[in-house]
Amino acid sequence: MHSPSGLDTLQRRVLGLAPQPADRLDSPYWISNESYQALRHVLHDVGGQPDASVPYLDKDEADWELRTYVLCEVLAWRGVWNSEVRRRAENDLGATLYFGLPYYGRWITAAAKTLVDKGLISVSELAARIDAVRARREAGS
Amino acid sequence: MRRFAIGDRVTVRDATTLFHHRTQSYTRGRTGVVVDHRPEWLIPEDEAWQREDGRVEPFYVVRFNQIDLWPDYTGLELDTLESEFAEGWLVPAEGGRR
Repeated sequence: MHSPSGLDTLQRRVLGLAPQPADRLDSPYWISNESYQALRHVLHDVGGQPDASVPYLDKDEADWELRTYVLCEVLAWRGVWNSEVRRRAENDLGATLYFGLPYYGRWITAAAKTLVDKGLISVSELAARIDAVRARREAGS
Repeated sequence: MRRFAIGDRVTVRDATTLFHHRTQSYTRGRTGVVVDHRPEWLIPEDEAWQREDGRVEPFYVVRFNQIDLWPDYTGLELDTLESEFAEGWLVPAEGGRR
């Protein structure tokens, strides 16, 4: 989307120039109480944290996103979980996955992990199914 | 039986949270006014672990003035923000009813 002021472009450039956090998270021998408090901050509680604005993208849900939504609702209907369990499971993914995945990517990853956690599928079954789908797609292309 | 009526001034407790909660950090210790009631429901801290024996509490919609939430708020004085809280997160504010 074209921005006459070039503000979007500027903001993206500034984001790219932002310095990396100075504290390396590398299983330190000790941490301060302040660091511990920051580390156990619940991930989705982002209100009030400073951040740059994100360009608004006027897009519809992709098929995989709608299918993810329906799948998660059906899992709730069958008593596997509820929306609050899903939100907690998203937090449990950890900061890298939570902020690295698209919105519905978080949903489907949390759904897969919950199904494994509850013993409803095994991680090997899930991996084998992913490999089978990949093989089918590669054969088709 | 509900503890708070519409119009009551309430303060959000600044309690420790672990792993999951729905009480935004920026509301902790802040005071607002109850503007609506929401039905009783399993509190998020129990619902998030699907505890069938979890605690059920009444919920409230609390309205804050934005200038009370953000120390460097530059918007209008009449700007407000509303959020929902389980009863256990709220205590009567100093000064009581508005």
